[in-house]
Amino acid sequence: MYQVIFTFENGAAPVTATAAPGETLLETARAANVAIDAPCSGNGSCGKCRVKLLEGAVEGLQTGHITDEDYAAGWRLSCASKVTSDVTVLVPDIASAYQSRMKTADLSTGEEIAIFTRLEEDLKAAGVAFSNDFVEAEVAMEAPTLEDTMPDTERLTLALQDALGCEEVRLGYPVVHKLAAVLRHSGFHVTAAGTLRSGVMQVMDLRPFDAPQPMCGLAIDIGTTTVSAVLMDLKTGKLLAKGSGGNGQIRYGADVINRIVEQGRPGGVERLQKAIVEETLQPLTRALCRSAGVEAERILRCCVASNTTMNHLLLGVDADPVRMEPYIPTFFRWDGLKAGDIRLIANPDARVVLAPNIGSYVGGDITAGTLTSRIWDKDEFSLFIDLGTNGEIVFGNRDFMMSCACSAGPAFEGGDISCGMRATDGAVEAVTIDRETLEPVLSIVGKPGQKPVGICGSGIIDVIAELYRTSAISAKGHFVRENRRILRDEHGMGRYVLAFGSESDTGREIAITEVDIECFIRAKGAIFSAIHIMLSSLDMDVSVLEHIYVAGGIGSGINMDNAVRIGMFPDVDRELFTYIGNSSLTGAYALTLSTAAEEKVHQLASNMTYLELSTEPRYMEEFVAACFLPHTDRELFPSSVQE
Amino acid sequence: MSFVPKKQTYNARINEVVLGVGEKAVTIGGQNVLAFHTFDAEIANAPKIGVELTDAGMAMCTMPGEQKFYEGCATVADMAKRAETMEGASFICLHLEGADPNGENKSVDECVALAKSVADATDMPLVIMGCKNIEKDTELFNKIAEALSGKNILVLSARDENYKAIGAGAGLAYGQKVGAESAVDINLAKQLNTVMTQLGVNAQSIVMNIGSAAAGYGFEYVASTLDRVKDAALSQSDAMLQMPIITPVSADTWGVKESIMPEADMPEWGSQEERGIEMEIVTAAAVLASGSDAVIMRHPEAIRTIAAMIGELV
Repeated sequence: MYQVIFTFENGAAPVTATAAPGETLLETARAANVAIDAPCSGNGSCGKCRVKLLEGAVEGLQTGHITDEDYAAGWRLSCASKVTSDVTVLVPDIASAYQSRMKTADLSTGEEIAIFTRLEEDLKAAGVAFSNDFVEAEVAMEAPTLEDTMPDTERLTLALQDALGCEEVRLGYPVVHKLAAVLRHSGFHVTAAGTLRSGVMQVMDLRPFDAPQPMCGLAIDIGTTTVSAVLMDLKTGKLLAKGSGGNGQIRYGADVINRIVEQGRPGGVERLQKAIVEETLQPLTRALCRSAGVEAERILRCCVASNTTMNHLLLGVDADPVRMEPYIPTFFRWDGLKAGDIRLIANPDARVVLAPNIGSYVGGDITAGTLTSRIWDKDEFSLFIDLGTNGEIVFGNRDFMMSCACSAGPAFEGGDISCGMRATDGAVEAVTIDRETLEPVLSIVGKPGQKPVGICGSGIIDVIAELYRTSAISAKGHFVRENRRILRDEHGMGRYVLAFGSESDTGREIAITEVDIECFIRAKGAIFSAIHIMLSSLDMDVSVLEHIYVAGGIGSGINMDNAVRIGMFPDVDRELFTYIGNSSLTGAYALTLSTAAEEKVHQLASNMTYLELSTEPRYMEEFVAACFLPHTDRELFPSSVQE
Repeated sequence: MSFVPKKQTYNARINEVVLGVGEKAVTIGGQNVLAFHTFDAEIANAPKIGVELTDAGMAMCTMPGEQKFYEGCATVADMAKRAETMEGASFICLHLEGADPNGENKSVDECVALAKSVADATDMPLVIMGCKNIEKDTELFNKIAEALSGKNILVLSARDENYKAIGAGAGLAYGQKVGAESAVDINLAKQLNTVMTQLGVNAQSIVMNIGSAAAGYGFEYVASTLDRVKDAALSQSDAMLQMPIITPVSADTWGVKESIMPEADMPEWGSQEERGIEMEIVTAAAVLASGSDAVIMRHPEAIRTIAAMIGELV
């Protein structure tokens, strides 16, 4: 056995682990719970699990991901390095970024809140009431005496029946557990929170009357790459906190298939559940509670919107049938989940609403997003596109809806891209490039003066569109111009440097390579060909579209001109496009607040037809035709021109 | 009233590409109807046949018929001179198999010298076929294109990975014709033509090789792709698919079991040479019927037969 010491660039305390001879550094890191980003699940293809050898030696080949210079400096791919002696390695910040870069949003500006209030207004206008059955009652009781010997439970029950006029009061275990203490500390003057439904009050939490805290709801969007959540006041709908973080399961694979494969290994179900619950949701919820100044027990209702694989992994149910023919998951809709069942940070009795799935590859994130898009409330045809690791598309109107899913890969969220990252501080989110000099102008997420760290989805769309517009790359995505920012490695692979080492926050060059471009072209090709196939399967084309709603957490917005220029979205009037942000999260927000919205989403789910693209014989051909800038059939994109 | 067949001609035309110089220069493409549809319109240029020779020289002649035909030839140049006399042959294709780094790894200089000797020995147009190794082919094609500057040769082929170097070198700098090879997919074929023309290579200097297979070895994909390329070129006037198509036939057919299994091992299959010739004939006939404008073949007997077929149909 050898000793492996992991030290961290971000200053975290070193971790010491033991490794069996022949084990790779990545395996050792995983066993020791050291987070190293490995989107390809450790097969040496993504090049993201770089670590720097400080002491000792490892055995393994230098792969194409590491330059000679970096190799000499000690950089190794942890998945390709077998431990053969005691070693000390440095885990760079970028590799563990998915975990450390959790971010709570600033809600003071109103921008973040606007989309939620707009959704509430829209849904109300569409006849979906924004109400729920949560109530709070303040009651003052007589303190017990030697003469008045009623136990605490009965005392509270009678007081609540009196105050609310309800027939029955049920006390949950968390309430009974702290009942004696709360009553006595408060002088028997408390507020009880819970649900009141058909004359039955279910008490979920109890607090002294003079220390009020709002009744909270927690809406969570679990994406394959990114997790985001909002904490809200259940009565007023007011947002109390908003935050996001990387999905801790990323190190077990970047896409759903790799995750399912990983959960099939011994102990895998527990490992993946732990990664999402304990390493992602728990710290995120704690951060939200801290930022809002509320206690976790005050979270009385939760809603999770996520794709089918993610909600299966969250619940710890075997997800293998999701990827195996005939692709039948454990559940589409299931209503029995409580927060305590899966150790969410919330009141253990809080119900967890799961946005319903409608197929193995169209899940709750899409049904929640469809609710948000309101395409079900219009006579005219609309298209709803959710850009995630899986691209999902819903087309229809008041009368019918059709959905399909295509595998776009994690490129929109910065995965599989050498300098890709989520849309957090330091992400390049918009780019323009000068036609003559090829010098870029970057717009970066974060405070003024923030230097770039990487590039997020919206930035990648811009770079590729701009490189194409300026004729720096060919329609295949190969570099065809010479410039000081266009460099080539020893294998002849070209890259465009957005920021040289001296200009970036990490000291490492930020560039987009031909491989990145190819990868992104495949992602956009998957999206466009899915749109094309879905419309043509109904004997329609893009001319019938009157609204296109684009969702996804790929940045603060998408430059639609650029998205059309590279052939990702159909070449129609740009006025038709609306970017609706993370619609899965806003949908989950509505589902948390409104029982009517919950009914509505189930109704939508049962009305949606699922089109399976993998059985569509023309899909592959359409996909190949779309893997070109803007498209092999140029006539589909008259407005996309090179300068 | 007598039956008058409706003529189906198209407004679009396949590009005419001239290979070689002088009297023996050949023109491929040019028609505005589907393959052999002489009842619709006159075929501008009948499909052409090229003779495949490899850098191995006489060692490539494994069949008695070939040995007899090339009898007495000492060098590849001698064989090229002899091939000129073959019935039905219009051009020579020098296949530089031995340049493959994973094989004999013949040097670029050696290959250039060989190509020069062949070009000097014959007046027929010359097609240079590479070894399928991307890096080696790139260097090889550009060096040969330079050495044979002015001979108007065709290099076979540029692919997605090296179209830039070959397009810019052999195509633009040395003015030769460039083959554009894709893997039996209409979209990939069109994409390659598009990026080559964007690079500045004249559309009239490109000949497509859309990929092939021996009959019975996934050939339906080849036939379907050929059909659709011709249909898009003619009925949809798709300029990026109007390049004429050349299909190397013998390189595929002489590698399948029907052609390489000796009679001693498979007595019930009959003569190996006959089987090989038949594989070559059926494959060549099929690609021509689907729209290929030129084929590259090997065995004199097969070439004679296909030439007779073309003669009958055009």
